[in-house]
Amino acid sequence: MKGRKVIELNKKVLAVGVFAAGLASFAQYASATEYPLTLENCGRTLTFDQAPNRVVSLGQSSTELLYLLGLADRVVGTAVWLGPVQEQFRDVNATIPRLADNDPSFESVVGQKPDMVATQFQWHIGPNGKVGTIDQFAELSIPVYTAPADCVGKDNTTGGDGTRIDAFSMDQIYQGIADLSKIFDVEERGADLIADFKAREQAAREKVAAVNGKGISALFWFSSAEIDVDPFVAGQKGAPAYVMSILGVENVIDSDDEWPTAGWETIVRTNPDIIVIGKMDRRRFPADDWELKMQFLKSDPVTRQMNAVKSGNIVVMDAQSMNPTMRTIDGIETLAKAIEAFEATQ
Amino acid sequence: MIGNIISSPVFIKRISVAFAALMLLAAVLAVAASVGETAIPVGTVINTIANHLWDAGYPVDAIDAGIIWNYRLSRAIVAASCGAALAVSGAVLQALLRNSLADPYLLGISAGASTGAVSIVILGLGAGMLSLSLGAFIGAVAAFAFVTLLALQAGRGTGAIILAGIAGSQMFNALTSFIVTKSASAEQARGIMFWLLGNLSGVRWPDVWLALPVALVGLVVCLWHARALDAFTFGRESAASLGVPVRRVYAILIAAAAMMTAVMVSIVGSIGFVGLVIPHAARFFVGTRHGLLLPLSALIGALFLVCADVISRVIVPGQVLPIGVITALVGAPAFALILCHGRILR
Repeated sequence: MKGRKVIELNKKVLAVGVFAAGLASFAQYASATEYPLTLENCGRTLTFDQAPNRVVSLGQSSTELLYLLGLADRVVGTAVWLGPVQEQFRDVNATIPRLADNDPSFESVVGQKPDMVATQFQWHIGPNGKVGTIDQFAELSIPVYTAPADCVGKDNTTGGDGTRIDAFSMDQIYQGIADLSKIFDVEERGADLIADFKAREQAAREKVAAVNGKGISALFWFSSAEIDVDPFVAGQKGAPAYVMSILGVENVIDSDDEWPTAGWETIVRTNPDIIVIGKMDRRRFPADDWELKMQFLKSDPVTRQMNAVKSGNIVVMDAQSMNPTMRTIDGIETLAKAIEAFEATQ
Repeated sequence: MIGNIISSPVFIKRISVAFAALMLLAAVLAVAASVGETAIPVGTVINTIANHLWDAGYPVDAIDAGIIWNYRLSRAIVAASCGAALAVSGAVLQALLRNSLADPYLLGISAGASTGAVSIVILGLGAGMLSLSLGAFIGAVAAFAFVTLLALQAGRGTGAIILAGIAGSQMFNALTSFIVTKSASAEQARGIMFWLLGNLSGVRWPDVWLALPVALVGLVVCLWHARALDAFTFGRESAASLGVPVRRVYAILIAAAAMMTAVMVSIVGSIGFVGLVIPHAARFFVGTRHGLLLPLSALIGALFLVCADVISRVIVPGQVLPIGVITALVGAPAFALILCHGRILR
């Protein structure tokens, strides 16, 4: 009980921005992990007799999180890369075998003899996993940890990107960090990381509050199959929806799908104040290129009539911040800055 | 002499029927421009069109005008051109191959277009220099060339080209599946899927200037050979004995049908059943004489596809269905009816 009060107090301390002091006291309550460790993950119970020594990580976000927790020496294979690794991990990442840029085969994963597999997306390893099923890995006694961001409150049996029943929130990312730091007995580092992210979230909120950024609307455009067809835009329950909701911004797209396709005529009618376009290294669709998206918005005779285009309130955001990853925090900061700029032009 | 022809009752009747048909088509196009995700009154549509064609200067909301002129009208005209071209291609192929089941897709054109498009998007062929449409066009022409060569090797009979078409379609469909299976993400599969089933959301005026001339020239070329097509229905030997230069006419008409289909598929994706079903519907009204059958097929095909596109836009609120889903949902039962009618497999 007493510990909880202290943590509550810490939240208040964090809220006023003096988070370094908070970190120190928070960390005191992080204790060493006791094995065997059992924890719930995506509706399953995982048991670890000891901290895993050989991890295969499928999904850039899961991989970078392991690096961030200082566990790079335990990672024996990676796959599913959406872009270049974060600059700070370039050297260490180069020493770790990349099994595939996208989804690897089942045998290449188990061939690394992992005592744990971490996966960012359930469609790689899950009930119908493309790489393998949970049962297949269970037969080889390999526990599979799935990022909560892809399974908590989410139905992945619907095909495509799956359907979120509950909206995404950063709590799912924090859950993932807490779980992994516990599994590997590095809870202190995990707690530091979570506290750092929470403080950044809070600072972004305060930035928006300072400029009274209320009643602003926005559209998040990820990509499109072709430059002028109906684009993939952010729905009401994914990461962009969370970014918008905590900053008090209204999402003009009213759909529960994570990335629905919406018609341009519908979008133009909603006339968002800010348009956020995805920046990525992938070049599969022409619209993966943010400059082409910008060019389209400014040259199409209909889209160029939107207020956001006329007044230049188009924001370029890293695409991985638009997906439920720890980089969502960067997205929060980017949008907060954009709101500040928007208010300055009003 | 000419005066006699112009004042003859048959000529006047034909002219008035043709005029009525064009009026009907224009009316349907106007309705299509007023129906969509957001409702715009027909009056606004007419004012907008008048402003553009005759500089009428009616006051119209700029966004309404943009949506009508740049999105919906161009889209409706392309839909009409595609419907007409696919239906005429189907009628021509059914006559040439003396097989009621013949349609443009039988020649592997659609399968090849899919492979071409998928190669661009997923394999990244052309390194961003080639558009999806160009990839589809190259794939369509390649598949058609492959099937034709196969048929020539197999003995040139009408049965040979149908079997070669089946082999070609299967092979290119397998290639498409292979590439899609290797694809990286659910998002890409969805982007491709949308395209494979037909999608007019990206259509703009430049597509009109490609689709409309191709459809018109294709129709004129085929109409020019209407008598020869009538002769072909009795077989190549009979056609030859009636003085038709069989090989030349055969080559011209097959090439016309293939080019029309390849161009249309490259603009809007794979739209099934139009080429197969519409000629049968037209035959129901005017019989088998190609002088009447071809223009009527073109008209019904145009109306059918414009209507199918409107349905695809409004049937699910807030979402656009691939047009291929609509044409197949309507086309498949219609085709079943034709099958059960019994006369199809003469």
